Amino acid sequence: MVRTVQQINQKIKKGDVLVMTAEEIIDVVRREGVEKATKEVDVVTTGTFGAMCSSGAFLNFGHSEPPIKMQKVWLNDVPAYTGLAAVDAYIGATELRENGNMDYGGANVIEELIAGKPIHLKATAYGTDCYPRRKIETYVSLKTINQAYIYNPRNAYQNYSVATNSSDTILFTYMGKLLSNYGNATYSSAGQLSPLLNDPECRTIGIGTRIFLGGAKGYVAWQGTQFNTKTPMKNNVPTRASRTLAVIGDMKQMSAEYIRALDFRKYGMSLAVGIGVPIPILDEQMMKCVAISDKDIFAPVLDYSIQSRNRKPIKEVSYAQLRSGTIELFGKKVKTSSLSSYYLARQIAEKLKGMIQKGEFLLTEPVERLPEDMAVEPLEIVSKEEVK
Amino acid sequence: MARRKYLLGFSPARVGEPITYMIVKEFDLMVNILRAEIDERGGRLLLEIEGKPHKITSGVKYLKEKGVEVKELNEYVSKEEERCTHCGMCVSICPADAFEMDKKTYKVHFKSDKCIACGLCLDACPPNAMKLRIW
Repeated sequence: MVRTVQQINQKIKKGDVLVMTAEEIIDVVRREGVEKATKEVDVVTTGTFGAMCSSGAFLNFGHSEPPIKMQKVWLNDVPAYTGLAAVDAYIGATELRENGNMDYGGANVIEELIAGKPIHLKATAYGTDCYPRRKIETYVSLKTINQAYIYNPRNAYQNYSVATNSSDTILFTYMGKLLSNYGNATYSSAGQLSPLLNDPECRTIGIGTRIFLGGAKGYVAWQGTQFNTKTPMKNNVPTRASRTLAVIGDMKQMSAEYIRALDFRKYGMSLAVGIGVPIPILDEQMMKCVAISDKDIFAPVLDYSIQSRNRKPIKEVSYAQLRSGTIELFGKKVKTSSLSSYYLARQIAEKLKGMIQKGEFLLTEPVERLPEDMAVEPLEIVSKEEVK
Repeated sequence: MARRKYLLGFSPARVGEPITYMIVKEFDLMVNILRAEIDERGGRLLLEIEGKPHKITSGVKYLKEKGVEVKELNEYVSKEEERCTHCGMCVSICPADAFEMDKKTYKVHFKSDKCIACGLCLDACPPNAMKLRIW
């Protein structure tokens, strides 16, 4: 049984495509077997809604009268990067407001823009013959901005570690609040619903793949930063943080329901991004991939009180264990928390399923495949002579 | 038997009175101190009181006669539903298991009657959905 993306798209256009979510398909395969399920189901949708720090947006404000070549720019007092052409800027999700507080940043600006709220814009410049203005203060909104598109260099991590804390003080991390003496453990992946865990070798997800991004259609732009294919595997999926996606999408089509500012106290701001990827069931092999369930996906438990990139996992636990509410560490029951919303991950997979069923969303073949062999290098402190 | 939560406020002049001892001894009430604070504005005491309903009423009357401000409390913190993304970060933070992850819907429910007012969830919630109502 083999089918192509073109055949699936024809079925979508005719309105007789069969789509299921990555959660629903598990029982179908268990009940009917891979062969029968492959014959019946054309597409499986995935979803995730979690903190993705490596996120941000490109904005073009339009030209003022007289014009300005913005050298420094602030949106609601949050600095944006404008080392680009005159009125282009990039607002990063984790950039903080310049008042010493850590509770407002680029993520909030992005969420508020999408929600249609007015944003205070301040820019300064040195003035040139072609751009004489040296300062501007005004208000902009998603309606007044020419282009506003999310470009997130690293999203949708294929698996991620579980965080805990062996020390005797509470830690505030990007993995949330970690209580002392293994008081809790937090995890991030949507497990069986997570896009890249359902297509572990990225057979169907590649450059140009159309995806659900923040409530609208978006695209995979490139491999994400820290893309890593050299991680240990169990049950045909990586047991460590592995592949990632760089994604792009039009903010003007998005909804603040699926793009949300997150405040990790004493760490900083991050952005919750809602992503859904449809997986075409090309053959039985693909069906086997999407049928994976939480009990077969494992993640390493790391002690975040060890402030080193070389911390070794305490143990590996499955997502079924994590989602049960407790895991066992050193003979003690430790309560678990998810940092990503399974509720919204499921909603995204359902929504994407609906869009495909209604013929509003066609599937794509990758323009190029993502790297099949790529490692992550550490940053070493070396001299000019020592650097490779 | 009834169980209720009260927030008591008293002026600096009354800080010295053994009011919790009195309500235990005179009104046969079980008192659990959830939170206590004394500063230049006076004292604030968050109590969970368990006992016969009429005894609780009498105890509260006694406190009021002593010049203590008494406010019955149903919610110490509240969950702003529009901000909550149902991630579940709060679930492992709460020592009283006041947050429940519904395993069918995967929505987080806040059971305010279980809340012991420790405040641990307030700075743990990434979308800032937990809000302080008193203090």
